[in-house]
Amino acid sequence: MNDLALKMLLGDRAKYIMLVSGLTFASLLMTEQAAIFCGIMQWSGSTLDNVGAPIWVVDPMVEQVNDTEALRDTDLHRVRSVEGVAWAAPFYQGVLRTRMRDGSFKFVQLVGIDAATFAGAPAEVVEGDLNQLRLPNTVILDEYGAQKLSRDPARPIAVGDSFEINDHEARVVGICRTRMSFSGNPYVFTTYDQALQYAPGTRKMLSCVLVGAAEGKEPAAVARRIGQATGLKAYTRDEFFWLTVWWFIENTGIPVAFGATVLLGFVVGLAISSQTFYSFVLENLRNLGALKAMGASDRVLARMVMLQTLTVGLIGYGCGVGLASLFGMVVLRKGMPPFFLPWQLPLLTLGAVLFICWMAASLGIRKIRQLEPAVVFRG
Amino acid sequence: MNRIAVRTSCVCKGFGEGESRTEVLKEVNFEAQMGELLMLVGPSGCGKTTLLSVIAGTLGVDRGEVEVFDSPLHRLQTKEVTQFRASNIGFIFQQYNLIPTLNCIENVSVPLRIQGATAADAEDKAAAMLETVGLGKRIRHRPNMLSGGQQQRVAIARALVHDPKLIICDEPTAALDSENGARVMEILRGVAARPDRCVIIVTHDNRIFRYADRMTHMEDGRIHHTDNPETGAMERQ
Repeated sequence: MNDLALKMLLGDRAKYIMLVSGLTFASLLMTEQAAIFCGIMQWSGSTLDNVGAPIWVVDPMVEQVNDTEALRDTDLHRVRSVEGVAWAAPFYQGVLRTRMRDGSFKFVQLVGIDAATFAGAPAEVVEGDLNQLRLPNTVILDEYGAQKLSRDPARPIAVGDSFEINDHEARVVGICRTRMSFSGNPYVFTTYDQALQYAPGTRKMLSCVLVGAAEGKEPAAVARRIGQATGLKAYTRDEFFWLTVWWFIENTGIPVAFGATVLLGFVVGLAISSQTFYSFVLENLRNLGALKAMGASDRVLARMVMLQTLTVGLIGYGCGVGLASLFGMVVLRKGMPPFFLPWQLPLLTLGAVLFICWMAASLGIRKIRQLEPAVVFRG
Repeated sequence: MNRIAVRTSCVCKGFGEGESRTEVLKEVNFEAQMGELLMLVGPSGCGKTTLLSVIAGTLGVDRGEVEVFDSPLHRLQTKEVTQFRASNIGFIFQQYNLIPTLNCIENVSVPLRIQGATAADAEDKAAAMLETVGLGKRIRHRPNMLSGGQQQRVAIARALVHDPKLIICDEPTAALDSENGARVMEILRGVAARPDRCVIIVTHDNRIFRYADRMTHMEDGRIHHTDNPETGAMERQ
């Protein structure tokens, strides 16, 4: 009877298209909005990806990676003395104002790394030479910054160009590839000492200490030991990332805004699909009654209805997730808006779509159960 | 040939509750025999269709007994009645009730598919049955591409394809012209000629009365009398 159930469904072209469209829209909205949310969350911790340190040591008051509460210079030495620490390097980060040659200014995310070890240096320098960062007044700019800081979109900033950071010259010696920051400011890498020249002077300047665990030591265990020994907070990269994500979830309206859209997609999908499928069952009630009279059991009819809803559900899901992925491919090429589609997301959407199908089928099955086969004898 | 195919004893059936309750069947005693075509006639609202539904096992009774081929339907569980219908009863409805999105051969194969036949087997038998009712060249047509008479012949093929012993017909010619009505009745007449089968037809259509072996007249929820149109013999209840 399964093939007949599918023919009954596909034969009613208008209802079939309506059902598939509703579920496609729901899947698209749920997947795409959730992926943008994940993308934003990924951006919130992009410093962690752009500065590849295994352990981050910060002031106990720091709640997430974009927070800055400077440490004392002596903290660097205290961290270095902890057992299991292979290396510890100073790190500066701050948002500074740049001024271009034509007088315009923009904000950048300045990152100062240790000149001796280059711990925290960008992983992918696409143009120029990282070693030249040891020269005075030099910076490495990310690709986004090369575009954004240029007045002429046709000519991005290139190696050899210069601009000003806080009234100090910054000569570009390299272009690197980074993940966009949450604030949308380009990343500018320089040495820690040079960063202190650029940044307005304060009593404490050390944003955090980047740490590498000794060979054979678990970063998480080393981080705990640093915390116990120094009274500072030490996180592994993953711990700090999730701390940052949860901070954004708890302290911003982002999850509510995206959650509302995802919920809207779910509700619209549920409403359209349930209503359309229910009317599909109602319109076929006489035929279903005839099948029941001819000896089709409630179970067989329920299976047919379930198959019909699952078919439209899975087709709609495939179209929706496919369109969301297509959208993702386009925006990833452009870099905006943020888009991150972890494998769990399509699974969650599938769960939501299956729930919608189950709800829609339940309404139909309930009606079929109540249906007396004798209805076919009534004119 | 005088074996009882269907027997109802003191069957009562009502609808509604309290003051709005209506007793539709009142102590109905009815019999249909193997190898006969029996027509159930009477004015609208007299309970013909309700009795037909009770005999077909699509409606339970409030009181009384219903036996079809010695199976006590009134005592069977819903699931058992459903299985009984699938194996033993063929249905022909006034509005044909063909599934509009399936073609003729798929529609006719439905009773076999319900019984668990494979699509290929069911369609082979359905094609043969459509050939029998004169629609062998229209097996891939959908119902909306056929005339009313042709649709009813598809419905007859569907009712007969699984070789049921009892054929239940509800106003099978009401929507047909005389010519198509006669053609449908000729087919049903042929079905009833087999000694192991019984055809029960509810109808208002006096053009087809001549095809009946016996006619049972109902009035006000009761069997009034049964007569034989050929011999004129009448038995009152």
